[in-house]
Amino acid sequence: MKTRHAALFLLPLLVVVFALLLWPLCLLGYASLHRGGAFSIGNYLRIFADLAYCDALVHSLILSFLVAAFATLVCLGPAWFLAQHDFLGKRVIRAAFTLPLSLSGIMVGFLAIVMLGRVGFIPQSTERLTGTPWLSGAAYQLTGLVIAYLYFEIPRGVLSLESSLRKFDPQMTEAAASLGACGWQRFRWVILPLISPALFSTFALTFSVSLGSFGVALILSRRFSVLPLELFHQFTAMSDAPLASAMAIILAVVALAVQYAAHGLTNQMPR
Amino acid sequence: MKTQARTISFWLLAMLTLVLLLIVLVPFAVVIAGAVLNTSFLGISTEQWAGDKGSSLFSFHWFSYVWGLYHSSFYFSLKLALLSVILCLLVGVPGGYVLAQSRLPGRRLIEALVMLPLALPGIAMSIALIQAYAVIRGAWWLILCGHLLYTIPFMVRLVINALRSFDLAELEACAQGLGATFRQRFTMIVIPSLRPSMIAGALMVFAVSWGEFNVSYLLNTPVNQTYPAALYATYTSNSFQVGSAATVIFLCVIIPALFGIQWLGSKTDSAINELA
Repeated sequence: MKTRHAALFLLPLLVVVFALLLWPLCLLGYASLHRGGAFSIGNYLRIFADLAYCDALVHSLILSFLVAAFATLVCLGPAWFLAQHDFLGKRVIRAAFTLPLSLSGIMVGFLAIVMLGRVGFIPQSTERLTGTPWLSGAAYQLTGLVIAYLYFEIPRGVLSLESSLRKFDPQMTEAAASLGACGWQRFRWVILPLISPALFSTFALTFSVSLGSFGVALILSRRFSVLPLELFHQFTAMSDAPLASAMAIILAVVALAVQYAAHGLTNQMPR
Repeated sequence: MKTQARTISFWLLAMLTLVLLLIVLVPFAVVIAGAVLNTSFLGISTEQWAGDKGSSLFSFHWFSYVWGLYHSSFYFSLKLALLSVILCLLVGVPGGYVLAQSRLPGRRLIEALVMLPLALPGIAMSIALIQAYAVIRGAWWLILCGHLLYTIPFMVRLVINALRSFDLAELEACAQGLGATFRQRFTMIVIPSLRPSMIAGALMVFAVSWGEFNVSYLLNTPVNQTYPAALYATYTSNSFQVGSAATVIFLCVIIPALFGIQWLGSKTDSAINELA
């Protein structure tokens, strides 16, 4: 390919990357480091000095950690099943798993209220069946928030694990079995070391998506605040763009750090 | 793939998958039922759900209500999604082709940068974009730019994966040896071999743009309201049934796209899985 062609073909993409990504990110960093027109790290100091913001950050980290851990665990079985077995209707099932992927967080929040709200489907039907409503109003508490975020991450967990697990060769476990390894030994010493890179990268993916998503919390959160929500309020209601920028930078740095760490971990492991 | 003996572990995993699938699907079933059912069902009292007290079991009254309120948002979102698809094809396919085929210095860096929006928190990226272009806030194409930022990585990645999966360079060298010009090679070899990926990418771009909320909501004006922003309005200010009907309309557009992506075959869906 001639360089002239290459340059011509790449140019639109470069323009998009520069105008929509690099330039806005530079301005974001610039805004976060300025207050009242002068250079200052006051925005960051304010976030770490204010208990409410610190709480929101810690909540975000804990929530994302819990959700990512649960999502990786819950999705492992189904992902293994889809990756290692062929059966009729597999595509329908996979398409069904991708459904929540395209929903924005607000819709997941709405689904959580429909299912777990004060007059939600689960409380109402369990009251009809057993006499006591289960999980009534759970949607507005931490439980509901975790469940809703988990629901949001299920498709990501299943799809990302499945694509890695497809590379797993069942002959490995067969070989181990023929050498006399029992079920637990096969899992602990053969399967787990081979799939742990997939587990780490899925954890990192679901963690950073949860960290940055605010639609679910926007609908559900009452007292439990997360950092994206604080950021959103600072930006829209308070119009404090520098503070919001500093929060955005913190979120971005944490998300990238987690993904980078997972990437590093997976590359160190023997393939 | 491999036909294994249907052992206990097979059925155990099948059960697990089924349970997770039910967890994913039941809320949709409830929402669809809530949008069309008229009287109380499974113990959900109609008064609390602000239902329509008509005489028939099914009612599509809420759909016409939602449609009357938000059809302009529907068309606006549709326009944005289709324009995103066109722009991604125009920008992403040639760009991805160069990134995959050429020996250009810095191509790894460019590829990483193109993928970066997917790794960054959506809200952080939206705020960066809005601040950078605050002057033109309110312009509808600024929302389009935001959608482009989030959709272009999908198209570029699919194109790059497809090009790396077989030796296109050799094919092109062959054609060149036979006297084909660059234009002939691009239109008669590259584009046809990329077609499945381009279709899958177009569907993915459409789905992502259709559901995008962050940028859409922050740049929301009464005139330029996207459908997800309209959904947010119904969730916060209307009854359950109005929200359900609005959600069902949203799903009617997205579900065909998602099934289409899965039906395009194994060649492209692994790439989509990795991106998810």
